[in-house]
Amino acid sequence: MRMATADRITAVVFFALGIAMLVGGYTMDRLPIRQIHPLSIPGLVPMILGALLALCAVLLLFQAGDREESSPEMLMVGGSITRLVLTIVLTVGYGAIMVDRLPFFWATAIFITAFMLVFSWSAASDGRARAVVIAKSVGFGGIAAFGIVMLFQEAFLVRLP
Amino acid sequence: MTALSDLGSALWALSTPMMLFHVAWSMLLGIVVGALPGLTATMGVALMVTLTYSMDTTAAILVLICMYVGAIYGGSRSAILLNIPGTPASAATSLDGYPLARAGRAGQAMGLATAGSMLGTLVGILVMVMVAPLLAELALEFGSYEMFWLAVFGVLISGQLTVTNAPVKGYIAGILGLMVAMIGSEGLHAYVRFSPTQQMNGGIGLIPAMVGVFGLAEVMTAMWQRQGVLAAARDKSDRIVPSFGEVWRYRATVLRSGVIGTIVGVIPGVGEDIGAWASYATAKRLSKKPEEYGQGSTEGLIAAETGNSAVVPGSLIPALTLAVPGSASAAVLIAALFIHGIRPGPMIMIEQPQFISTMGAILILAVIAMTIYGITMTRLFVQVLRVPYAYLMPLVFTLCVVGTYALSQRMFDVYVMIIFGLAGFVLRQMKYPMAPLVLGIILGTMLDTNLRRSLMLGNGDLWPFVTRPISAVFVAIIVMAILLNFGFTRRFLAGIRARVMRRTDA
Repeated sequence: MRMATADRITAVVFFALGIAMLVGGYTMDRLPIRQIHPLSIPGLVPMILGALLALCAVLLLFQAGDREESSPEMLMVGGSITRLVLTIVLTVGYGAIMVDRLPFFWATAIFITAFMLVFSWSAASDGRARAVVIAKSVGFGGIAAFGIVMLFQEAFLVRLP
Repeated sequence: MTALSDLGSALWALSTPMMLFHVAWSMLLGIVVGALPGLTATMGVALMVTLTYSMDTTAAILVLICMYVGAIYGGSRSAILLNIPGTPASAATSLDGYPLARAGRAGQAMGLATAGSMLGTLVGILVMVMVAPLLAELALEFGSYEMFWLAVFGVLISGQLTVTNAPVKGYIAGILGLMVAMIGSEGLHAYVRFSPTQQMNGGIGLIPAMVGVFGLAEVMTAMWQRQGVLAAARDKSDRIVPSFGEVWRYRATVLRSGVIGTIVGVIPGVGEDIGAWASYATAKRLSKKPEEYGQGSTEGLIAAETGNSAVVPGSLIPALTLAVPGSASAAVLIAALFIHGIRPGPMIMIEQPQFISTMGAILILAVIAMTIYGITMTRLFVQVLRVPYAYLMPLVFTLCVVGTYALSQRMFDVYVMIIFGLAGFVLRQMKYPMAPLVLGIILGTMLDTNLRRSLMLGNGDLWPFVTRPISAVFVAIIVMAILLNFGFTRRFLAGIRARVMRRTDA
């Protein structure tokens, strides 16, 4: 995707967010029961910020139009989308699901092992190499998880999930 | 002289075996974090906060400062050997460091980088211990009006100076940060804003947000890109310790870059990378051999490294005296100071008069450790650079989870970290700077409460916002910064400059 196109899409999103913030600030409770000063209402700054974001979004929209003609800059160049998707699945799966449902040691050991396996697998060409990758991943995952638990829980007295 | 004698006393008080042990391990860890591409100084400091919960205040701050100094310095290792800056701060270092490494002079390049970092930090420390108390005294004159403008100034300048093109993306990042700060209970009437769940009533924590933006987003970026290949893998590393004459030759460059780096550090939210680029560009402009820059210029290398290291003490000046961070890492340090019961801001010289000297002493210990490691452990850092991302990144993300959870022992913070990480990755890919976002989160409350308090005090009168002396200065700078975005202002200033130059020549 071209950067200018991405900028145009985000400009629309930011404009909507700005207007939502402006409306949110305007409709926010003005605490009449507490008889506060009318200029100290809680919605004042959100209103200003919403208006400013909407204004910046309009500027971004204009700028995107100008830039499309002058530079063909592309978005997300120089990396692997597959590696990115795998990273997101593994990290979000671990942080948002596994840590909450499994004991921390097991969640961490599984996560590290899976991460290493996924990203080292393609480098292993034959059965023996794959066996080495599996052994290394499982071993490192278990040792690292144990080390992290010991370091934080016992040495630094930090409570773990 | 009082400042220097206070610094000496603080240094003596800190030189206990336990403190030196903390310096030793945290500096080593900091250099390793900085050396590894994909791990930044801000991420290192944010993750390290977790380890300091059970420490006493001074030890905790010492560990965090060592991590900060070490990581900024460590970035030069991968910049020189891999042509990949370990941290964004070392981007300018790679321009001349890598060509030197390819020419078989990696050892000399790393030695000069070490000398530059050491001298840059020392210049910054000197300025910090001299200037910070004066600034804190001036800050006592700040009322609500000035604090409001200070917050606006911080977010605006950071948004403007951290982007390479038009600043609109920097401004948007700053406004987004300020919007995040609007979530939760506000400061004047304790009214809860934009909080769909009880978990958000207290607002969004700075540490989970920063660990997401600088931790998970970095992990994603590192895995998305390919790992670099060592340029000087077979380098026989010539001498590492630079001769006195070699460094003395660049004394003017070192002093100038140190001062530039410190000044850049003082500007809110403008971090080490800008410090390095500003020093590098100035050194090139004033050099007798500008054609060598980018081809392996030792002067360019020392300018970049001095510049980025001097930002560290520089960024602590506004952080300690105004509670406005000079860099993203300094923002984490402010959060850590609050956790450990120290309230940075104008009252610091009254509540903790020795604290600035203690910070200076901590920085001196960090510099000593950094220099020793830099000279003696070059080969170890080359080995560290060989660690595959598949091993490293899951460990980093595990630390991100532990760090955010440990703060308040709730999973909600981990979810916040993940959301900020995903959003941060997308925004970074779209060239939105992260420093204004972070600055917005940290300064949002200051801006909000001081604006409304000022309006209440003046009963809606807007004049004091522009007529009070310090406010007027802030307004002038802010208006000037905004006007500089327009072509007609730049043309007008260029015309004046040309006229002055002509008159000088005549």
